Amino acid sequence: MMDSLPHLSTEFFTWLWWATEQGGGRLTVDGEEIVVWVDDRMAFRLPSEDASRAVLTGADTARAAEAKAAMAAGKIIKELRIRLQWADREYGFTLKGSGLDVTGLVLPALPDEGDEQDRLMVRMEAIEALWAVLGAIYRQFAAVRTGASWAEEVVPSIQAWLVGDA
Amino acid sequence: MGFLKGRLNFRRYRVVDPLPDDFRDRFEQAFTEHAFREKSVISRGEETMGWVRADNLLETDFSNRDRWLYTHYVMAGMRIDKKTLPMPLVRAMVEQRVAVWCEENGRARAPASVRSDIRTNIENDLLARTLPTVKVVHFCWNLPEGWVLFENTSEGMNDRFRTLVRNSFGVALEAFSPLEFLTETPELVDPLAAAGMTVMGGGAR
Repeated sequence: MMDSLPHLSTEFFTWLWWATEQGGGRLTVDGEEIVVWVDDRMAFRLPSEDASRAVLTGADTARAAEAKAAMAAGKIIKELRIRLQWADREYGFTLKGSGLDVTGLVLPALPDEGDEQDRLMVRMEAIEALWAVLGAIYRQFAAVRTGASWAEEVVPSIQAWLVGDA
Repeated sequence: MGFLKGRLNFRRYRVVDPLPDDFRDRFEQAFTEHAFREKSVISRGEETMGWVRADNLLETDFSNRDRWLYTHYVMAGMRIDKKTLPMPLVRAMVEQRVAVWCEENGRARAPASVRSDIRTNIENDLLARTLPTVKVVHFCWNLPEGWVLFENTSEGMNDRFRTLVRNSFGVALEAFSPLEFLTETPELVDPLAAAGMTVMGGGAR
């Protein structure tokens, strides 16, 4: 498997932020509706640097003017804290970097019974379920990103949204 | 115990090499050979590294497979010990003893070799009385599906982990690429991998 280019992750983060804001926090993924929104943390960096140049935290971070201002100033998204719900599950986690490292993952409430093995199975199953949903979201991004609509519709729409016209 | 409670941080890896049929025996042997062992003497900044069981960082007996093999998951910890010294204190002690040496020897300045010996003695003395900083990072390896979660995202820790895995188990790990999400839609892989950068915000990307 070839390596994913680093800029694709930042574009994925931007697309996800925009798509969730446009869709009222709802995405249809593989025919199933999931609720997903950018939660209380976004970190931005300059394209030429690894270090964060702006970190926004707190309620309604995704709608903060500072977030769009960071993008308007040429920064790109380095980390994104996401809240994701489907069926009766809710996850909170931060995605970062080109390999989608996960930090601060809060799993849904899970049965706390049984021995270590039982608990490990349940928690790993929950992580795999999350990974499957993330994969489905990424495939949706990949389909859009490689299609004609990316340049013709999506990017202009994102650009307009960033300057407040959409 | 790693992965069993609380918030999680992880980097995901794909195991590049296939598992041998006798992997249970080999893993037990690898864990045992590369288990964490305390050194009687550890120099300043030196790291001691090896595997410990996930249930207790002092446990390095891997003969009971129930303690590291959970159906199809292997879980254990990478322990790293390191001793560091409070350098302002070291410098102050060196200056104090150098001053004593100068007074005893009727000299205005101590030769570099004397200063170096004094410093080495002080550091060795302090290191012998200093407890190491201890860090344990757990990993969980799904054997049939060939992926590993390592509970840390720093580059340094991940470099050490990949090296220890390769040296212990003889397998290479590759960091997860989002392109792996596209195994069900392989037609998207090449176009996506070739996609150039998009200018979305205010600057060139």
